[in-house]
Formats: sequence, C-alpha cells, structure tokens
Amino acid sequence: MKLTNPQLQSRLAAEYVLGSMSIRARRRFTDYLVMAQHRALRDQVAIWERFMTPLTEQLPSVTPSARVWQRIESAIFGGKTPASTRVFGQNAVKTPANKGLLQSFAFWRNLGLGASSLAAVLLVVLLVGNIFRASADPMLMAVLENDGIARIVVEQPKSGVLMVKMIKPWKPAPDNSMQLWVISSSGEPRSLGIVNELGETKFATGDMDVKLADGLVLALSREPRGGSPTGQPTGRILCKGPIAKMPPKQKPRPQI
Amino acid sequence: MNTTEPIAPSQLADLLSRTALGDRQAFAALYEASKSKLFVVALRIVRERQIAEEVLQDSFVKIWHHAADYATAKSAPLTWMSAIVRNRSLDIVRRPNMEIADDEDYFAVNMPDESPAPPDQLAAKRDEAQIERCMKNLEGEQHKAIAMAFFQGLSHTEVAARLKKPLGTVKTHIRRGLLKLKDCLDGHINDRQPEAGA
Repeated sequence: MKLTNPQLQSRLAAEYVLGSMSIRARRRFTDYLVMAQHRALRDQVAIWERFMTPLTEQLPSVTPSARVWQRIESAIFGGKTPASTRVFGQNAVKTPANKGLLQSFAFWRNLGLGASSLAAVLLVVLLVGNIFRASADPMLMAVLENDGIARIVVEQPKSGVLMVKMIKPWKPAPDNSMQLWVISSSGEPRSLGIVNELGETKFATGDMDVKLADGLVLALSREPRGGSPTGQPTGRILCKGPIAKMPPKQKPRPQI
Repeated sequence: MNTTEPIAPSQLADLLSRTALGDRQAFAALYEASKSKLFVVALRIVRERQIAEEVLQDSFVKIWHHAADYATAKSAPLTWMSAIVRNRSLDIVRRPNMEIADDEDYFAVNMPDESPAPPDQLAAKRDEAQIERCMKNLEGEQHKAIAMAFFQGLSHTEVAARLKKPLGTVKTHIRRGLLKLKDCLDGHINDRQPEAGA
C-alpha cells in the first residue's frame, strides 16, 4: 500500500492521533512513520497532534508517586533500577525514537546481565544443547530469553559463522522482520542480520568476528520488514541474553 | 482534585531547551511542572496506576533524549510532551495481551477513581482551546465516539462494543467527526503561530 493520497494520509494520521486504530493498523502506520519517505505523513501526524492533544489539558491533574522520578533518573543517569517491578519492563524500548536509551550502555548492561547469571544461561544451554548438533566446540554461545523463557540459541561454531536457532518457531508477522543485534561493551548495538522466524539462520560474513569481538549481549528486536531503517534497533526487544565466550580449545600437546 | 497552578508555556519551553543541552536541573524542574498533567493522560488510557507510572517514566526518558527535537515542533511544550505520553500509552493498550475482548470486565476493573471535573467548571477554568470549541460542534454520536477513543484510548472495536453499535457505524461516526473537526480547525491551523519558541 502506498500512502500517496493526501486525504487518506490525513484520515489515517487523524485516527492514529485519536488512538482508535487497531493493533495491526497502528503498527503498520508506525512503520510508515519511521520511514523518511513518508515525510508528508509525519507532517499530517504533527498537525493532528497539535489539533487534538490540547484536549488533554481539560483533564484534572493526578500526581504520580515519587518513585517515578527516581526511576527516570536511574534509567537515564545510571544506578540501580528497580526493573523487576515493572509490568512492561521488557517493552520499555518499543518506540522508534528511543534511540538514546537503546544506545546507553547502562541500559544494555541491565538488559543483558541483570537477571540471568551466566551459570543459569549455561544450564539452559545444557538443557537445549541438542538443538545444535553440528559443532562440538563452539567459540561463543548465547541463549536469548524473554521473561525467563529461552527463545533462541545462538552459537558460533567457527570463525566467521554464526548460527541462530529458534527454540520454538515465532508467530510470523508479515509486516515485520526480526533482527539480531550484538551490543558491545560501550553499549553500541550493531546489526548481525535478519533472522528467520521459523527455524535456523546461518550468518557467514567477513566481519562477523570483528562485530562479535567486543560483544557482551545479543538481542533480537522486531523491526519493519527488511530490517531497521536507521541501522539502530527501533522496535521492541523480543529476547536477549549475555554472550558466553568459550576459552580457546587447548591444542593437544605434541607427543614427544 | 488537584489544582496545581499551570506553568506558562514559555517557561516550559525554556526548561525543554535547557534539557536539550543536558541541564539536569532544568529536566527535574520540567518533570515537576508537568508530571501531574501528563500522568492523568496516561492513567486515563492505561487505567492502572502502575502501568501509567511506567508510561510516564518511559516518556520522560524519551523527553530527555529528544528534548532538542522540540525546537522544530510547532506546538506548545505541554502538547508536545502529551503527544509522547499518549503515544506510549496507546502502544501499550494496543498490545495484543492488553486488548481484552470482554469489554465489561475491561471497563469494570482498574478505572482510576479520579472523576473528571464537570464540563462547565472546566470551561470556566481557562480559555478554551480551539479544539474544544470544535469538539462541541460535533453531533452527539460523533462527539461521544471521538471522546471515548481520545481520552480512554479505545479502538474502533472497543468504542463500538461500549456504545453497543455496529463497528461500521462507529467507524463512520469517527471518520465524519474527524472530517468535521478538520474543517473547523483548518482555518485555525493555517495562521497559527507556535505558542512558545525554544
């Protein structure tokens, strides 16, 4: 669908701002919005936001609890975030424009290393270990989980290659792609590529080892079809997990 | 009902522009000045205090990182921030596990207990925004459907279920109502100046 008709643009922008769109319609609309070529649509949204949003001023004020500010501060400036109490903790980064948050190292560190200890991850690796039969001695492993449920397993069987396997196939979303990211110790996400929702994906690129060298966490995000338009994660994080690097295998000592 | 003195748009704009430069004190003042106005926006849509608090938190993280964008926005600061809060709230209530089919239950539980101020009291409170005047020109059914969608974040389907009207009828009411609003507001927008510069 091409949104070139100005009347249609205005109508959809109005319904988006009003908030009456269904889940699916809203998601598709948001995808259009994040793409630069839909400048006209963004302008329409801005116009309608300017129209409609002042209506909220007639609502009587309600004071939020003091803990909100503490959480805002720790989310931005670091420190301990009481993340476990969040109802929507996993989806804190859903909006496309949350780039700053996605890039902050504190955020990624909490995301990847907060809840799950390496030991727990390795246990899961043992439990799902039979998913990968090809490589006996992976260089790197990660189990990406969401709410404590392991969703995908990633391993690097050899230099330059990365294997991604869904533990259970994901519900296909025709308008979206799932993109795998590696987050470096400086908190910078780098794309590893688009993952096949239904089964196994093999990445083999020349710069794979370079991308992974400084990697701490792997994360899978939902992106517009074909991948993030910005080169940074824009959609919500579906699952994530810390990277476990295996010690290089000891070469058998030459027999004398 | 909370009767916080409204802060002037120019003051909020100033705080936003200082926030854009990384001024943490300005950011804290911005939060203090707008938190109660913005919190109710989220609360009306997501209906649960805890979730509304998370919406507010996420929105202010976003405001911190994107305060510089306000410079190019043509809206009042509170409008700009409210739009962020509304979008975050709507993204949450439009998640599959939040759109609950059973409307009766959906509305019975977790409604915030703060009731809206009576309309005449509101009208007296301050100058009416253009949008409020235009809303009043809408026919009853159009007005009702649009207000429900806007304030409570209800989808077409949810508005239809609540009004016990066919979905198609509700969609038509909303579509026609929005067209009418647009006609009413068009003249207003063309010559509108930003309410406050950054």
